[in-house]
Amino acid sequence: MDNLAGSGSLSRRQLLGMIGVTAGSAAMYQAMSSLGFAAESPYREPIDLQGTPPGASVLILGAGIAGMTAAYELRNAGYQVQVLEFNGRAGGRNWSLRGGDTYTELGGYTQHCQFDQGLYINPGPWRLPYHHRGILGYCKRLGVPLEAFVQVNYNAYLHNSQAFGGKPQRYREVKADYQGHVAELLAKASHQNALDASVSREDQEKLLESLREWGALDSNFSYVSSNSVSDRRGWAKEPGGGLTARPIPSQPVGLSEVLDSRLWSNIPSGDSYDMQTALFQPVGGMGRIGEAFGRELGPLIRYNARVTDIHQDDQGVTVSYQDTGKPGSALTASAQWCLCTIPLPILAQIPLNVSAAMAAAIASVPYASAIKIGLQFKRRFWEEDEDIYGGISYTDLPITNIGYPNTGYHSAGKGVLLGAYIWGLNAMEFTSMTPEERVQKAIEYGSQIHPQYKEEFDNGVAVAWHRSPFTMGCYGMWNADSRARHYDDLCQIDNRIVLAGEHASFIGGWQEGAVTSALDAIGRLHARVVARGATA
Amino acid sequence: MKRLRRLLRQRAMGRAAALLLGCAAATIACADDASFGSVITISNANGEDIYSHICQGCHMPHGEGAVGAGHYPKLAGDAALTSWQYVALTVIGGRNGMPAFGAPESLPWDSPTVHLSDAQVADVVNYVRSHFGNHYKDRVSASQVAQLPHPTAVPAP
Repeated sequence: MDNLAGSGSLSRRQLLGMIGVTAGSAAMYQAMSSLGFAAESPYREPIDLQGTPPGASVLILGAGIAGMTAAYELRNAGYQVQVLEFNGRAGGRNWSLRGGDTYTELGGYTQHCQFDQGLYINPGPWRLPYHHRGILGYCKRLGVPLEAFVQVNYNAYLHNSQAFGGKPQRYREVKADYQGHVAELLAKASHQNALDASVSREDQEKLLESLREWGALDSNFSYVSSNSVSDRRGWAKEPGGGLTARPIPSQPVGLSEVLDSRLWSNIPSGDSYDMQTALFQPVGGMGRIGEAFGRELGPLIRYNARVTDIHQDDQGVTVSYQDTGKPGSALTASAQWCLCTIPLPILAQIPLNVSAAMAAAIASVPYASAIKIGLQFKRRFWEEDEDIYGGISYTDLPITNIGYPNTGYHSAGKGVLLGAYIWGLNAMEFTSMTPEERVQKAIEYGSQIHPQYKEEFDNGVAVAWHRSPFTMGCYGMWNADSRARHYDDLCQIDNRIVLAGEHASFIGGWQEGAVTSALDAIGRLHARVVARGATA
Repeated sequence: MKRLRRLLRQRAMGRAAALLLGCAAATIACADDASFGSVITISNANGEDIYSHICQGCHMPHGEGAVGAGHYPKLAGDAALTSWQYVALTVIGGRNGMPAFGAPESLPWDSPTVHLSDAQVADVVNYVRSHFGNHYKDRVSASQVAQLPHPTAVPAP
């Protein structure tokens, strides 16, 4: 960037380098925040399993999205199905915490959620991209109503505690200023013939026209205060009616300050494939999907079952388990086949006779650390005081995000924010605290963005995924090496056992990974069952 | 606490950013708060800091571990700690769901992880082997840790 200041014209390389700043941030954003490996879901239509032999049976371990997808389809295909679930509820990581709920994390720390009626947070997944056809398809089939999830809110904040005196900036201002300045620079370069080597003269005319449009540049291709610029970034005084009508344009922030702030890093927050509009959320909380599956499957699910041993032989699979309410109890369940969705950190500790290759794969996937904190406030000050309706603010503070409720706008009474959504080292540190300390920290940090926090705070809950008794982590972290070495071994049917879950997918950390992994697994399992015929 | 605050002031932004992989990471590490090691160069954190900021999330404040559908091993009185190599290898390379903390910073995980130096691995190994009722006298050095196998970045195919 130093070269920009002193030189009369820009080399193509310099320009590309500058643009790379944006592309790089987009790529980094994706890695950090989207969970997204941007793989498109292969799901097209409901699976069709024909010709199930009479008496064929499958034991399913885990009543999360993968396990219940498999149970639902296999039951419909005529299998005898039983599901063992550790928790006392269906859904697994598909989960909403609501007022009256109690949650005890590992270490024995118990929280009693005190949210008002109808208010919730989703400790796990919270958004459904439009192209996640599998999970959306089950919402449709199970009658789970959806509403819009706001990913990008132009009036939410981008915040860097070290820039602009720590004052949060509106997304629309940062975006307009960044885009306007970059457009102006490119226009300048084009006028100075710096782009001749890469863009024909004819195309440069079109490029200039597009830059003016894209950056809200004036007739001289400059990004300066104007009505059209204020139409992007907002006004110093808004246009109105009558005698108070006349608007006053706002003043853009200079290029150097925009770049130094690093707030551009979150401009592409809605550009990655997983985050593009339209996104959805179930009305009433993400947990409505798991609850609907649970109702649908009814007595097929055996709750409070802690699996202690999984054993297969030529005849079938026998699973030993305890009733979590009756320590020391020794129960068993058997079937011809087994689909196991137990998260890998737990499965790795359960005696299981599978091939060495599959066992190695099970032991090779570390789980991500993640935190979500829900904060109830006495009023919806983000709407009342700041015109923020849904969406997300991003900050450099350890809380990383503040998510505003995408529902219940203008409701009287209290409201619940997602007060933190954290990955990586900061998540590990939040995990190391007590739930009360986490909530307290979220209040302290969040009040740097919303000073109303301290006055309006009511109560909160904090979920640290590494302290979740039923997952011991948030989701499976793969890399190119572990994928190459272990992924296929993890997904193969091992005699009578097959695994499924987001960990057995390329859409890791997303419910769509769980759905597509389950459908792929039962498709292969069914083919094997049919090939063997009624003798199993 | 005081020492952490001092470290806070010493932090090097770039290093902290590299640690956290990514953007938000580049901007995460800014709060002046001793509760968060990430706001310092974690490379300066000692064994006690590392334990109380990272390890205790799972292994619990007194090394007591925890039991749910699976379990986090207790470190208090665990016979496995007799072998410093076992402990160090676990920290470096991870075990089951536990992430690797000794992977090179360049290793392209799909999600943020934390990198600790060999000296830090040695320090945290020494810490857990001399706390929670453990009294192992042999202390491990960074050079001993360096000789153990570390996760490596894979060459492009």
